[in-house]
Formats: sequence, C-alpha cells, structure tokens
Amino acid sequence: MDEDTRATVKEFEDVLKELTLNSRPIITTLTKMAEENISCAQYFVHLLEARIEKCVPTQKLYAFYALDSICKNAGSPYTIYFSKNLFSMYRKTYLIVDNNTRTKMINLFRSWLEPTTATGEPVFDKGTLDRIESFLIKASALHQKNMESMLPTPTISLLLKEIDKLTMLTEERLRDNKADAKLATKLEVLNQLKAVLQREKLGVPALKQVQLQLQQVFAQDQQYLQDKFVHQQKQQLQQQQLQQQKQQRQRGAGMMGTPDILQGSKSPSKSGTPIIPLFNNFSNQPSKTAGAATNASASLFGSMSSILSPNNFAEMEKTNRIAKIKNLYDELNKEGLLYVPKRESIVTLYDSLNTKNNENNMQQIKNNLPPIPVLTSIIFDCKAHFATNNASLSNAPTLQLNQQNILSDNRQVNNSFIHFLYRAKPNKCSLCGKRFGNSPEEKKLQSDHLDWHFRINKRMKGSSGTQTSTGSTAATAATQRNIQSRNWYIPDSEWVLFKDEEIVSISHDQADRRSGKQRGQSKQATRPHDNDGKFDSAKNAPEKDIVAISRGKLLAKYVVVPDSIQDMAFICPICKEKVNGVYDEDSGEWVWKNTIAIENKHFHATCYFETVQNRSNSGDMPTTELETLKSLIE
Amino acid sequence: MSLDTGVLPGIDVATGDAADGSANSFITDTNESRTLVIPMGQQWFVDPPRDARVSLKVVSGVAEVFGTELANDVEYTFQDWKFSLFAIEETTLTWRCTSVIPDLAEFVTNRVAANSTAKYVYNLHFALEKLRNSSFEGPKVIVLGEAQVGKTALCRTLCSYAIKYRDYQPVMVNLDPQEPILAPPGCLTATPVSDLLDLQSPQWGQTLTSGATQLHGKQPLVKNFGLELIGENLELYLETVRQLSSGVRERTQQDSVVQRSGWIVDTPASALNNPQILQAVIKQLGVDVIVVLAPEDEHWVETLDTLSQIIDRNSIIRIPPLTGAVPVDDVYKRLLQRNAIRDYFYGDLNTVLSPYMISVDSQDLTVWKPRGTMDLVEHPDASKLEFIPVPVDQSNLQHALVVITTAPRRARPEEVMASPILGFGLITEVNERRQKVKILLPVPGQLPNNALVLTAHRYLE
Repeated sequence: MDEDTRATVKEFEDVLKELTLNSRPIITTLTKMAEENISCAQYFVHLLEARIEKCVPTQKLYAFYALDSICKNAGSPYTIYFSKNLFSMYRKTYLIVDNNTRTKMINLFRSWLEPTTATGEPVFDKGTLDRIESFLIKASALHQKNMESMLPTPTISLLLKEIDKLTMLTEERLRDNKADAKLATKLEVLNQLKAVLQREKLGVPALKQVQLQLQQVFAQDQQYLQDKFVHQQKQQLQQQQLQQQKQQRQRGAGMMGTPDILQGSKSPSKSGTPIIPLFNNFSNQPSKTAGAATNASASLFGSMSSILSPNNFAEMEKTNRIAKIKNLYDELNKEGLLYVPKRESIVTLYDSLNTKNNENNMQQIKNNLPPIPVLTSIIFDCKAHFATNNASLSNAPTLQLNQQNILSDNRQVNNSFIHFLYRAKPNKCSLCGKRFGNSPEEKKLQSDHLDWHFRINKRMKGSSGTQTSTGSTAATAATQRNIQSRNWYIPDSEWVLFKDEEIVSISHDQADRRSGKQRGQSKQATRPHDNDGKFDSAKNAPEKDIVAISRGKLLAKYVVVPDSIQDMAFICPICKEKVNGVYDEDSGEWVWKNTIAIENKHFHATCYFETVQNRSNSGDMPTTELETLKSLIE
Repeated sequence: MSLDTGVLPGIDVATGDAADGSANSFITDTNESRTLVIPMGQQWFVDPPRDARVSLKVVSGVAEVFGTELANDVEYTFQDWKFSLFAIEETTLTWRCTSVIPDLAEFVTNRVAANSTAKYVYNLHFALEKLRNSSFEGPKVIVLGEAQVGKTALCRTLCSYAIKYRDYQPVMVNLDPQEPILAPPGCLTATPVSDLLDLQSPQWGQTLTSGATQLHGKQPLVKNFGLELIGENLELYLETVRQLSSGVRERTQQDSVVQRSGWIVDTPASALNNPQILQAVIKQLGVDVIVVLAPEDEHWVETLDTLSQIIDRNSIIRIPPLTGAVPVDDVYKRLLQRNAIRDYFYGDLNTVLSPYMISVDSQDLTVWKPRGTMDLVEHPDASKLEFIPVPVDQSNLQHALVVITTAPRRARPEEVMASPILGFGLITEVNERRQKVKILLPVPGQLPNNALVLTAHRYLE
C-alpha cells in the first residue's frame, strides 16, 4: 500500500466513522470516494464490512445504506467483493436489530431484487440473493408464529365478542347483496358457533383454533368492506365533482382512495410470498394520511391487532353512517326537496365571513373591547368635565379663607373643584403624570412637554453622535462623555433675577442664549437646555479677546528665586514638573523662567494661564481672575 | 359590516390583561410583583424595610404622593423613605420589594386607611387658589405645628396642588435646617416650585445644579445655617432667616408669577412654642396666613392667643394633624440627612453624578465655623454671630461637610457670614503629617480660592 492509497483509505475510514446517523451527505461522500478510488476497493470493502460487524446495532443500517449506495453507483468490483460476505452480514445484522430496522432492511433487500438500469441484472449475484430471501422467509415464518403467540389467550367471552362483530359485518354485506346465499350460510355458521361456544366448554387449543379461523374470516370481510368503501368513495367523488367545492373534496378523496396507494400496498399480497407479515410488524405506525385510508389499508397488511381494535371498528361504523346520511342527502336532493342557498345569499356570506364559530367570535369581540379601567376612566373624565364646566373659584363664597370654611365639609370642593386638580385636564403625560387640558394651547404644551422629555432622555443617555437641534458641537461633546457632575449654586444676585420660565418655558432656547450673553459668562451648564447658550458664549465670549495673553509674554515671565528656598527648585502644582533656577545674565539674579507667583505659590505661567482660561470658559470662575492675571502679566 | 366595529381607535387591549396575570395571592418571595387595590379616599402608608427598594406601578386609577400624581404604568422606586400613597379614585397598583417582608398584613393591609384630613387640605388649597386668582400678591402661608403632625407633607401637597391647574410658582421656603429639602441638611432654602416635584424623592427632587434630570430641576436659594439645632444659636438662625427672606422678597418683587403665587413656609417644630422665632419669622417674611396643624385642645387656645398677638386672628387657620404624617425618629432623620449629603455628591437612583476628589495643602484652606452651644458656654460674652476660625486638623475636619462660600479666602469673617454659598465640599481625609487635605467636590476642577465654613454634619462613606 503506497502513501497515496494509505491516505485515501485513512480518509475513507475517518468519514466512515462519522456515519453514526442516517446522513445522506456522508453516504454520498463515501460513494464518491469509492467511485474515484477503484484501486482501493478492497480496502474500502474491508473497512465497511468491519464497520458493519463492529458498530452498535442501531448504526449498522446506515453502514448497509453506504454499502448499498456504493454497490448501486460504483458497481463492479464492489458488488463482487461484497457478495462474498453479504449473506452472513445480512443475517447477523437482521437477527440483532429491532423490528423497525428489520422492515427497513427488507425494503433494502427488495431494492436489490430489482434489476439495475445499467446492467439489467440485480446488483448482487442470484445465489446470494436467494440465500437471503430464503432466510427471510424462514425468519418471517418464525415471526408470524411469535405473533400468534402474542395474541390474547382466547377465552369464551372474547371469542363471543369477535363473533358478534363478524356477524354484524356479515349482516352488513348481506344487506348490500341479499341474493348471496354464501353470506346467509356464513351467518348461520357464526350463530351456530356462538351457540356451541356458549354451551360447551372447549379446551384452550380448540379455542385457539377457533380464534385463528375467525381472524381469517374477519380479514376477508374487512377486505370486502374496504373495497366497498373505496368504491363508495369513488362514487362520491363523481357526485362531488358536480358540486361547488369541487377541488377541495377532490383532493381529499384522492388522498383517501387513490388506486395507487391501494395498488402499492396490495402488491405484496398478490405475489403471495409469506414475507408479507414481516413488512408490517406490530410496531407498524399508521401513516398520518387520511384516517380512513390508513385504517382501510391496515387490514390489507394483515395486522391482526389493528383489525381487531375497537377503534378501527367504530371508525368503520361511523363511515357507514356518514355514507348513509350522504345517500339520504343525495336522494332528497334528487327529488328537489333541498334548498341550496345561493352564492350571494346572506347565509353564505355570513358563513364565509364567520370562519370561526360563534363562541370564538364573542371572545374576539370581547378582546377588542377596551378594558374596564379605560372605560371608567373615560366616564370619570366626562364627569369631571361637566363638574368643572361652569365652576369658578372666585365666585365661591365658601372659599373665603377662614377657620370655619376650612374645617367644613365643602360640597362644592368635593364635587366640583377637586376635579381641577385631576381630570379637568384629562390628558396625562405617560412619562411623568403631568396633566394637560384639551384646548389647542394645552395640546401644544403637551407636545412640547413630550419633546422636552425626549430631549432630556437623550441627553441623559448621552446618545453620542446625534446632533442636537442646533447642531451644537459643544453639546455633542458633553453628551458623549455622559458623565454628569453637579454645578455650583448661582449667586444670590442672579437668583433674585432668575425666572423659572428659563427652566420650564418652551422657547427656552432663545431665552438661554439671551441670558447667557447678558451675563457674559456661561452658567448654562446649570440649566436643562444649556447647549446652545454654552456654545454661544464659548464662541463669542468677549472676555476671550480682552484677556488674550500671548504665549510669548507668558514664557517671558520669571520669578527671582527667593532667598528662603534652599534647593533653588519648586514643583509646579499643576503639571508636577520640577523647575530649576537658572542664572539670568540681564538681571544678574537666579530666576525661575516661565513662572508666576500667585499668593506666594509658584506656578508655570503657561500652566496657570491654561487652567484659569479653562475654568473661565467652563463658566466656573468669574472673568476677574483672568483679568487679574492679565494685569499681572502686562 | 366589519369585524372592527367593536374596537375604539388608540385603545390598547393588552393593558388590562397584564394586571390580571400578576393578581395572584400574596407570596413572601422577594421582588415578587403583587397587586393591591386601594379604595377611593384611602391611603397606603409605605414604610420600606431599611435599604430595600419598593417599586410600584399604577395600573389604573388616580393616586398621588404628597400631591404629585403618579403616571400610569410607570414604575416608581422608593428607598429609605416613608411616604403615603393617596388614592383619589380607586387605584389598582402592582408593587414589589427587593427584600423579604416578614409580615405582609402589617406592611400592606393594616397600613391602608382612610385619609380623613384630605378634605381640609383641599379646602385650604382652593381657598389659597382663590386668593391667588383675585390678587397680584399671593398668600404667604406659614405652616406651624409640633413634631410629626405633617407640616412638611402639607407644604409639599400645597405646592404640588398650586401648580396643577394654573402655572403658579409658589415659593417653597424651608426654615427647618434638619429637613433636607432640595439641599443638603443644615440649610434653609427658598425654591420656586415651577414644575412637578419628584415624588420618589424625600428631598422633593433635583435642583438645576444636577444638570440634566428626568424632571425639570428647581432653582433654590440656599443659605447655610450649619448647626444641628436652631436652639444652639438662635441669633445666627434668625440672621440666616433674614438673609433668606431678603432674597425671597427681592425675587418676589422681580418676578410677577412668583409674586402672584405666594409662598409656602415650612418651619421646625420648635418654632411653634418660641415667640421670639414666631415674631421674627412672621414679621421677617411678611406672612399673612398661618396654618397650624394641631388638635383642638387647651394648648391650642394658648397658641391661638400667642399668635393673635402677632397677626390678625382671622388669618390663623387650624387643621387637625394630618393622617398621612409618619412617625419620625432620630435614626430615620439621620438617614434622610445622610442620604441628602450622598445625593448631593453622587446623585440619586436616576441621576448619577460624578464628584471630584482633590488634594490641597492644609495651609491653603481657610475654615470658619459659627459659634455653637459648646463655644457659647465657653465664651458667654462673645457675639453670637461671629464666625470663629477652625484649625485645619483631623479632629475638626475629618469627614466634615463644609460650605464653600463665594467670599475670598482672605475675607473677614463678617463677609464670609454674609456671603452667598457656592456649594458644598466633603473633607474625606486630613493628613496632618503631610499637611494635605482631600476634599470631595461636586464640580470638577480646582477648589475655589474661597473661605470655607464648617457645618455640624459629618458623612462617612
């Protein structure tokens, strides 16, 4: 085995290991690899056989699927290699898997019997297939025996019940076909059998015999009824075609009675092989197509338990009854005794509109009604409106401020005036509960109020990047930080002039800007709508021009090192840098350059200026400080 | 004919159902949402367990907290505050608490009771409203009473009612330094109430100094008294009242809305029985209506006599103590004061503020303090209004709340006392060895180069 082969085989093995579930992609991959690497065929076959041998029972089927896929697609030489051990593998696997998987394996086997399109021959050689087939026949015979042993132990009462059912079925048939002497005889035999059972005590083996016999008869009867049912369905189909809801019914009927399905399911029974019971073992789950059809076909598979199930029986009775009513309806219709509402009639319209039944509808209407609190609220609003409509505080004598009035039960207050505080303004802000009236001015106030909530929330959340209404960059910068700090109180002199309109007014923008300019310093950080004002004053601040101090001048500032200082150095409190003294030749003194002395403390002149300027711009400090500084420097 | 006929436009179907879902029986799980229906005219005294948060949401109905109506379907959160929720109409609400409530009946059912004094408050409000409507000079109302009769609750309710129907801006004047209203404790404040008070806040809300807040901020005039009790230095107290009232008078002259709306003045309990304070405050402020919360007994007759010597008898109104008044002990009072200091620096549940810690040299601080009881005992002859310098050391300043005045650092003590205040700082650490002091400032930046005044309040983080 050379390097390439080894790699390919390894890869095949790896993919094979993943085959722990029925996965089409994996099987396809395996098939492709097998097709492309015919040279490795023998290795692949070994791997796959080993896999079938070793993996857990539930996964064996998937390996078989892979085998099947390879053989069908790649063909020779795989078919030859696999044929060698196919029978033993199949048998071994079949014996240890569950019934469901067995069914699938049989299906797989059946696909092998069919000739392939390529060769016109079955996939594997006839000898192997024959061996598997005979094995399956034996296995199924065994299986049936097992099944019989699983039938309930026959008792007299059980058998009597079954006879009753059979009698009913036969009577049914007899009604349809009164001339059938055979059926009459059968009925008689059944009655006799019943009598015998009731009279005599039979041994268990005898009872068993009777049971099996009955089941066979039962199956026959059911098949007959089934055929009849299908026949009826077809008839109905024809009748229904005349009716309006043609398509829908057709589809339904087609599903229930298509000959294909029945044909398909019948085919094994035609071939008459004893394999049949294996094709549906007890765990056979009825497919979820139309109920009647499933039940009908169930009997064809000879699943006795399902034939005997009372459910099935009741179902049949029901269909019969429906058929009877249907017949009656058809007859009445033929006689012209029925009135069919026309398409435009109110009845059909109502039906088409009311798809749900009436009870549902009531529920829906109820759901669509506003909840009780909303309704009561509306009533209270109305009451409040009328109560305050003509009420006037100034004309009420009982409102004179005196001890007696205050402590009295003032009916006017309780019934009318009190509403001024609440529902006289019926529109409550959903965010803060502030009330607004119905007049246009009040509506305007309310919408402005909501705008304010929106703006302030945006500001508090610090939605970055969104420009405020005026597009102020200062505001965006502030909101981006989203860190809020308290401000100082405004001076008393400002407080006495302050108007709370600046807080609550709607035209605050203008007010702010005006006041900001008036004061010549921006205190607006303290106001909810400071953005514009702050920006404005920062930009236009006149003090900036007045107190513009050139950097050159600042750098030229120096301080003569005081005698008290020992190490000729100080640390600038702002930038924490150490400043050493230098000898100034002009003055002949040791000095600190770029230094300013404020209240006996030394700062870098530039540092100090920047700090003062920043503070002045952010509005914390009066401009006087800057001016003082200026005078110091000039 | 259409299926939609039963639906009114704009009505949300879902609102009613949400309440039903949580309307299950009381279970003592924490933070379990429970439903409560308060009948019309009754109130629920909510007393949250210490450090726990009680959240409540009005599902339907109309309810208010001290005159401020709750929005429907908005969750309000209350912490460290005893308050009462008054149902104007039958109110359904859902509430939950972050900690286990040992006795639900004691917490809820036993604490829902009729509000029998609400009608007097309404009568009083509408009488005041009538005065506001009929004159350019609004009523200046002072509320007096013993401790725990509901003075502050009445003031708060009257302020809230006054802004409801017309755009009045009554000035709320707080003369009780122990009660932190819109300011840290130890202050006397005057605040035009121009919009909703924050019903979740024991301090009535936020000021404009907080920046962006969920409700309109208020702009108070803040005067520092600085001592714990007004009895410690009555002269200083009256001087502070004088400073405050001159500010409010000036504002009232300048502002026609404020003038028309009048004032509501809250007082400390000790004012009622101290003729000196009564006389000074009533004259100082030019009060024209006196409301006394008191039962009608012999003591009331005495009080009425005293008061009628100061003001016309017809201007004196007695109202029985409010049913909404909550018993307040010193521990609770301290808690409110502590929280007020915390909120000043760090903000409240809804508005988080970032204070700024700076370190300054000890020699750069000039700290004054008013003369308190101890000092006056030592120097009985000293002027009570005089400020005395405070040495910058650990024993004096550690954890102290200090007032930053607008007076320059080198200003004379009289100037410092007369100067407006800029704000507060908190001295968190005094390092005597390194001669450094750490101060927490509400505003980022350097410590203003101003004189400081030491208050009696301490705050340990």
